[in-house]
Amino acid sequence: MSENTFMGVARESIPWAPLIDYEKCDFCMECDEFCPHRVFERREGDVKLVVANPNNCVVFCRACSKTCGPDAITFPDKPQTIKLIKELRNAEGGAA
Amino acid sequence: MSYAVLACNGVDKAEGALAREVGLLVAEATGGDVICPVLLNRAPDRYQKALGEDALIVVDGCGTRCASKLAAGVGAKPKQKVLLSTLVKASGEHLQASLRLAPGGMALAESIVADIVAALGAPGRQATPAAWEAPTEFFVVLFDKFEFRIPKQGYLFCENDTWARQMGNRARVGISDYLQQQLTDILYFNPPVLGARVEQFGELGEVESSKAIFEIIAPVSGTVVAVNETVVGESPELVNADPYGEGWLAEIEMSAWAEESELLLDGPAYRGTVGPKAADY
Repeated sequence: MSENTFMGVARESIPWAPLIDYEKCDFCMECDEFCPHRVFERREGDVKLVVANPNNCVVFCRACSKTCGPDAITFPDKPQTIKLIKELRNAEGGAA
Repeated sequence: MSYAVLACNGVDKAEGALAREVGLLVAEATGGDVICPVLLNRAPDRYQKALGEDALIVVDGCGTRCASKLAAGVGAKPKQKVLLSTLVKASGEHLQASLRLAPGGMALAESIVADIVAALGAPGRQATPAAWEAPTEFFVVLFDKFEFRIPKQGYLFCENDTWARQMGNRARVGISDYLQQQLTDILYFNPPVLGARVEQFGELGEVESSKAIFEIIAPVSGTVVAVNETVVGESPELVNADPYGEGWLAEIEMSAWAEESELLLDGPAYRGTVGPKAADY
């Protein structure tokens, strides 16, 4: 992977990734077919799709959820995530 | 103006039942023709006249967006589109799991239709008449067979590939050349509501391409004071053809430019992010 920061903050410290509701997911794989960042991975067995690489997810991108017919994908609260990023930037001395 | 309505009527989901009802109500309210998606798929010629002459309103039920994809497949340019699953969510209502329109569903359909019809009659929205000079000098990032252009000056970028160009207390906003190329052909711009307050990195409408629906991330906070009506109504392809000029999306009256611009990247800094992004894609 290339530089692993977002807005000057380490990507690992930003909890932004899709969450699959397995009560709703019908494993149609539209999200996985869409996402070019290899966030999802397919599995054998009952649970055929997992969020395997959450840190590959582009912070603030929610495009995969908009491909989801059964509306099974959610993301963290965006204003809270923005607040966290700003706090982390300040804590690190504000990478301008 | 005459209208044609292409609505999802998927019978396997609750959203389909709602979409069918919304489509019929919109057709009644506008005196428009109803396009059956099944017949359109089977025999597109049947609707050649309606698609050629009428303003098309597309109603999708769920995120699979069959109606939108059908419209794109026959080369139609919708005047307006709605995605019911997001509208239902925004309304705070819950659709019952029934495949028939549940009690209460009709009231929800009627309120959605009222919004659709009101938006059709909305007066034209004006852009700033301020002098606007298109950028002339660009950095060019080469990757594979692609060339991504970035204005050298005057534009600030957020890491989600939108730009802001300051003009006094306003900023004009659009998407970068890199993003428009990744999205491929832009088919529709669903603009933000005029007068709405938007936060920095909040949502400023959506663009839809043959690949994806993409949220526009607002590079600055403020009030939406203009949207590019040409892109919304007639020529979404301007976003592909001229992303930094005629393909702008919206204007924001800003509230905290000095502070917020520190969180944005200038041309040279944004240029440094584009190559690695293209390599990861």
